Amino acid sequence: MTSRAAAARRVLVLRCPDWPDPDGSDGSDGSNGSDGSDGSAAARAFEPVVAIVGEFCPQVEILRPGVCAVAARGPARYFGGEAELARKVAEAVCLGGFTCQAGIADGLFAAGLAARSGPTGLLVPPGETPEFLAGFPVGVLDLPELCELLPRLGIETLGQLAALPPAEAASRFGPAGGLASRLARGLDPRPLIPRAPAADLSVQQEFDPPADQSEPVIFAAKALADQMHDRLAAGGYACVRVQVQVCCEDGRELSRLWRHDGLLSALAVAERVRWQLDGWRGRASGGQGDDADEPGGSGSGLGTAGITLLRLVPDQLVRATGRQLALWGDSVPSDRVARAAIRVQAMLGHACVTRPVLAGGRSPAEQVLLVPFGDAAVPLRPADRPWPGQIPAPAPATVFGSPLAASVTDGSGQPVSVSGRAQVSAPPAWLSADGGPARAVTAWAGPWPVTERWWDPPHARRQARFQLVTEDGSAWLAVLQDGRWLLEASYG
Amino acid sequence: MGTGVAQVISLAPARHRDDVLTGEGLLPVLPALRALLPGGGLQRGSVVTSGDWGLLALALAAEAVADGAWCAIAGVPAAGMRAAAEAGMDPDRVLLVAEPGPGWPQVVASLLDGFDIVLLRPPEQPPPQLRRKLEAAARRYGSVLVVAGEWPGAQSRLLVTEAEWTGIGAGHGRLRARRARVAASGRGAGERPRSAWLWLPGPDGTVTAAGEAASGMYSGESAPLASSG
Repeated sequence: MTSRAAAARRVLVLRCPDWPDPDGSDGSDGSNGSDGSDGSAAARAFEPVVAIVGEFCPQVEILRPGVCAVAARGPARYFGGEAELARKVAEAVCLGGFTCQAGIADGLFAAGLAARSGPTGLLVPPGETPEFLAGFPVGVLDLPELCELLPRLGIETLGQLAALPPAEAASRFGPAGGLASRLARGLDPRPLIPRAPAADLSVQQEFDPPADQSEPVIFAAKALADQMHDRLAAGGYACVRVQVQVCCEDGRELSRLWRHDGLLSALAVAERVRWQLDGWRGRASGGQGDDADEPGGSGSGLGTAGITLLRLVPDQLVRATGRQLALWGDSVPSDRVARAAIRVQAMLGHACVTRPVLAGGRSPAEQVLLVPFGDAAVPLRPADRPWPGQIPAPAPATVFGSPLAASVTDGSGQPVSVSGRAQVSAPPAWLSADGGPARAVTAWAGPWPVTERWWDPPHARRQARFQLVTEDGSAWLAVLQDGRWLLEASYG
Repeated sequence: MGTGVAQVISLAPARHRDDVLTGEGLLPVLPALRALLPGGGLQRGSVVTSGDWGLLALALAAEAVADGAWCAIAGVPAAGMRAAAEAGMDPDRVLLVAEPGPGWPQVVASLLDGFDIVLLRPPEQPPPQLRRKLEAAARRYGSVLVVAGEWPGAQSRLLVTEAEWTGIGAGHGRLRARRARVAASGRGAGERPRSAWLWLPGPDGTVTAAGEAASGMYSGESAPLASSG
C-alpha cells in the first residue's frame, strides 16, 4: 500500500462539458456530433479557461480542447488542501463564465473519470483510487477491442480487471491488456523513465528579425517537430507530452503543454502550435490583455509582439512502443504537400483547404464530408452501410453544394408535379436550370421517392428524385421537394 | 517467400515526390486515355486542358493519384468526389481548395509547388502574363496543371465532342453509362488531332475505352436511349 501511495501522482482534471466530447463515452451520445472541423476554434475558445487554471499552477496540460490537467500535489499544499484547490479552481473558472467539473485522483485516467462523476466532479482521496475505479465498466478504457472482449469473458468492471495478476493480463491480452491492467489499478499507463536522458532532446528555432505573423512560426514548428521526433526515435523514446515555448521580442515567454503520447505527427504538432498562437493572439485582441504586463508564465497574451524563439520540449519520456497513424491511414502527406497546404491555409484560412472524406447518405451532397486539412474526422454517417434508396453508380461529377433552382415543365408548359402515390403529372419536356434558357428533355427516369427522418421533424425530408437528359447531351439529378424543383448534381 | 517479398516491394508507393523534381518523366493516366496524350501520360511541367469541368478532368488525374501522386482541386466547389473515387482517384490523396479567392494565381502557384497534379477551374480568364507565370511554376516544380477551361498555351487539349447517355428512356431505366468521343489536339510539331470513344463514365463509374460501334452495350433491360442530340 505504501509503495503504491508513493508512486501515485495526484492529478486534477478540469473538464468543461460545453466542449464536445470526441469519444462520447460520457453517455451523452447526442453530443458527439463533432466532426472535428473546428479544432482551432475550439482550442481558441478554450484558451481563457487554460489561462485561469494557469494562475493556480503554471504547468497546465491540455488533453484536448475542453479538458486540461495539472499536477495537484504542489498547488494543493499551497492553497490549503486538495478539496480547497478543486473548489477554488472551479470557482475561478465559473467566474470566467464557463461551466466546469473538477476531479482529483491518483493518475490522469482516474482523475478524468472523477471529473465526470457528479455534477461538479469528485475528489478521490489518496490511495483510494483503485476502489473508486473498481465500479466502472471496462468500457471507459477507450480500448475498443478489449472493451468488447472482456465482458464476454465475464470481466465487466475495472475492479475485476484489476484483480487479475498484471503479468497474466499482459500475456493474455497483449500490450493493450497490460495497459488496461495498469489503468484499472490506478497506475500511469506506461512507467515513466525514471532518470532523464543525458542528451537534451528539445529543439528550437530563433527568428531574426522577429516573426510578426504566425505563418513562419508554424512552418518552423513542422520542421522542428520532425527534428524532435527524429531525436526521440534515435533514442528509442516517445514523449507523453510536448511543451511548446514561445519567446517574444519584449522578453515574455509563453508556454503550453500538449498531450502527445507518441501519437502526434509532426503536422499535428504544428497544428497545436497554430492553435496556441491563434488562441493567444485572439485573446489579446479580445481586450482581456490587462494581465499582459505580467512577465513569464502562461497568463499573458501574445498581443502583437513579434516572436523571436520557438522551442519544442518533449516532456515525460517513455519507451517507444510503436506509433500509429490514425489520422491519415496509409496516406501520410509528404512534407512538400503539407507545406503547400499550410501555406494556402495561411492565405485563405484554415477551413478553406479541405480533405474529402467519403460518407454515407442518399443525396450526393451528403456522401462527401469536407474536413479542414490537419483536422481528424470520422464521418457521422459511415459510407459502408447500405443506404437503401441512394442513387446507384455512376456518381455525378459535379455536385452542387447548394442545389440550383430549376423549373421542369411538361409539353404544355405546366410545371411537372408528383402525386402522393408517386405518379408524375405529365412527362417532363423542358428543363430550365438556374433561370437559364429552357432545354428540351430527351430522356428521363423517375420519380424515386425518398422519405427521410420522418421521426425528426426539423430534418425530415420528402423528395422525389429524377434523372433528366437534355438535348445538349448533359444529364442532371433533379429533385422535387415541397413543390420546388432543384438540381442537385450534373453527370458527365 | 521470395515472390512474397517481391510483391511487397512492388506494392509500395512507386516513387516519392522528392525523387522527381526535375520536371522529367510522365505521370500515368488511365489506359483509355493513353492514346490521347503525347507519350501516353501527363508530361510533368505541362499544362493540359479538359474542356468544361467534368469527369474528364477527374479521369485525367485518377491513375496518377492511384499511383501515389497527390492532387489538389482548386476553384471547383462542386467537384463530385464520389465520382472521382469511382474513376479510381483515392480521395485520401486529394485536397480541395473550393474558393481560391481573388489571389487565386498565388494559391495555384503554391499548390503546384507541393502537389503533383493541380486541377484548376480559373475563376476568370487569366491574362497571358499570368498564364506564363503559372506555366513556369508548373515547369519549375515538375507538376501538371490540368485546366477546366481555356488555356491558350496548353501542351495538350482534350475535349468531349460528342456524348450519348445509355440506359435511360422516356420515363424508364436510369443513367447507366455515357459513351463519349474525346478529341485531343496538341501543340508542337507532328501533332495530329486524335480522338477516341470512351465510357465516360461506365456503369460502375470507371472510365474505359468504348468500341466504335458499342452503342447499347450498357443499355441494360431498357431500350437504348433515344437521344436525338
